[in-house]
Amino acid sequence: MKKATPYLLLLPALLFTALVVAFPLVQNIINSVREVSMVKGVGKWIGLANYTHVLHDPLFLLSFRNTLIYALAGTLLALLIGLALALLLNMKIGRITTIASFLYTIPWVLSPVVAGFAWKWILNDHFGILNYWLSSAGLIDVGTSWLGNPHTALFCVILARVWQFYPFAMVMFLAGLQSIPQEQYEAAAVDGATTFRRFFHITLPNLRPVISVLLVLGVIWSFNDFNMVFVMTRGGPMNASMVLPVLVREFSFVYFDLGKGSALSIMTFVLLVALSFLYIRVLSGKETA
Amino acid sequence: MTQRILVTVLLSLILISCGKKSDVVEIQDWNFGGRPHLMVWLRQRIVSFEQTHPGIKVVQSDKSWNMIREILYASFSTGTGPDVVNTHANYAAEFGEAGYYYPLNTFPDFKEVRHWYMPELLETTRYKDNYYGLPSSAIAFALVCDKAMFDAEGIAPPKTWSQFREAAKRLTKCTDGDGIMDQYGLVLMGGDKGGFAYRMVPFFYKAGVNFMSDDLSKVEFNSPMGVATLALFADMYQVDHSIAPGFLAYGHTETNDMFCGNRVAMCIEGPWVRGMVHEKDPTKEFYIVAVPVPDEMIDRYDTAPTLQDMVMYSVNARSKNLNAAWEFVKYLRNEEADMAWIRDDMGALAVTTAALNSPEAQNIKDLPLFIKELKNARPLPPHPQIVALASNTFTPFCEKAIVGELSPQDALDQAAREAQSVIEGKE
Repeated sequence: MKKATPYLLLLPALLFTALVVAFPLVQNIINSVREVSMVKGVGKWIGLANYTHVLHDPLFLLSFRNTLIYALAGTLLALLIGLALALLLNMKIGRITTIASFLYTIPWVLSPVVAGFAWKWILNDHFGILNYWLSSAGLIDVGTSWLGNPHTALFCVILARVWQFYPFAMVMFLAGLQSIPQEQYEAAAVDGATTFRRFFHITLPNLRPVISVLLVLGVIWSFNDFNMVFVMTRGGPMNASMVLPVLVREFSFVYFDLGKGSALSIMTFVLLVALSFLYIRVLSGKETA
Repeated sequence: MTQRILVTVLLSLILISCGKKSDVVEIQDWNFGGRPHLMVWLRQRIVSFEQTHPGIKVVQSDKSWNMIREILYASFSTGTGPDVVNTHANYAAEFGEAGYYYPLNTFPDFKEVRHWYMPELLETTRYKDNYYGLPSSAIAFALVCDKAMFDAEGIAPPKTWSQFREAAKRLTKCTDGDGIMDQYGLVLMGGDKGGFAYRMVPFFYKAGVNFMSDDLSKVEFNSPMGVATLALFADMYQVDHSIAPGFLAYGHTETNDMFCGNRVAMCIEGPWVRGMVHEKDPTKEFYIVAVPVPDEMIDRYDTAPTLQDMVMYSVNARSKNLNAAWEFVKYLRNEEADMAWIRDDMGALAVTTAALNSPEAQNIKDLPLFIKELKNARPLPPHPQIVALASNTFTPFCEKAIVGELSPQDALDQAAREAQSVIEGKE
């Protein structure tokens, strides 16, 4: 009985995990190898046909490319801005640091849906504040469309993503900066190192684990980000900003082809699991270091 | 002592569970969308239904149109859908085919009930030999023209394509003297794939183009007249620059803001437009006219069909309380209830002949035009994949043609090929 007690205590948690994680995942895998149409119902087993259809769909390649750009560009830009602001905040210029750090974190606490709608209005061609400022300054024509232009729509969504993700990067960098031993800077100052050299030879190497974690986390979260793109562009115009999570929705709930939708979500899942393993390795490397 | 308490609790529970089962039947009603007036009216109607039908309790919840497909498919496919639901009438095909909606014509009194409605509207709820809903809130798409802009330019609302194109061109102008265009002739809803199709199809229909063949086996929107229709918009955008250039990003809110903000002279809307515009600008005046026809079809201006859409109330085929649900649907959609669509701005048209012919109806602005258009209007074809076909094949290719990425002929041919493969189940 004593031997069984720990397992019995674990049982509710295991059952819960099985229900909310394992069941949907297994069901999704099953759906991905069957003909599952919401209109026609569940059909025959078709092996990897759904995966082949997804890979041959012209929208898949476009969405995959867009998702890569969205994830990488969004994460890298957010990291750069986050690092710059963290360096400024780390200078501890009196009370202004506290106020600024509070203000800078606001985008992070906003729901992506709210942020998406806010950016949609900021970027509105005729009534948006951005166009008002830029056209008043004579930099653009009145009515310049950002979200309605296939060449700029994805960039705009990335901008909104950066705006939402940089506070998290900033907080992480700030914590990282504050854990760097001051002695290293003092020794460098004695040796006559410039600010520039101190940044590249002390600050950046010390922040490497934080950068790695942020990169992996940022890419994983961006890869999964449905809300921002869906609210701002719905993948348009003319699929120019279509990303994988939105494409899963298109397959599943517009074409009602759950099999194809499941196949794409499993492909994305496998990719993200690989990234997660990378994240865990980075994290464990950080702990041992 | 503890034992006594436990025994008492257990006995009480047993007694409660042995009590008489309640005679009240509970049904779930999911209401998607609707203007505020309609939602208030619905609540009042439910209260009066429960008073007149003491054996039935209605649990109503409001939901958004935006996620209607996801919500309904998720709930119906798992057997947890509501007893009663309101959806677009073209869901009759999808949900009828899937076996989610109950065929209302199997209720014995359907023969009498069907005579409440305009026959053309009731037909929209039919798929194959069954009727899957009772009509509610009919819509016919029309052209909305800013009165002040048209009057200032001294032009009348257009009836033909050439008048339409010319009006849009003349009303595209710089209004503040800085030489930059800040007013456009027409706005389209390119950021909402479904909304775009709903505003483009009326022009195709008016030009005599079929979306699909009558037997639903072949896509037909790429006919020569279909190509001509799309070419009209492509020319307006690329040659005349008379369509608002940012239209690819616009949803309903943006197009309404453009119209209310005096940035465009024309938009394509339904009967909700008066209420929507007056919420933002109560003083704004506008003409609502039939969608223009090709010049050579001017003699058919009054009879050519526009796009008809309609909301219907349906009963879940898996409902455990089919009769109660049917009673509720009838109560919501009977002739007396339909008068609310005449007395108040519900954003759509009444559907019963009694309400539409009532003396009060004669005082409603725009109603004669909409009734005339409804009589000839056609819905989208009742194909189970129609929403996907309209939103994901027709819309993106039309948009590509309008902005010049493809020629109208190539765009419609490619759209037709993709749509055809969806119909034939190859996709």
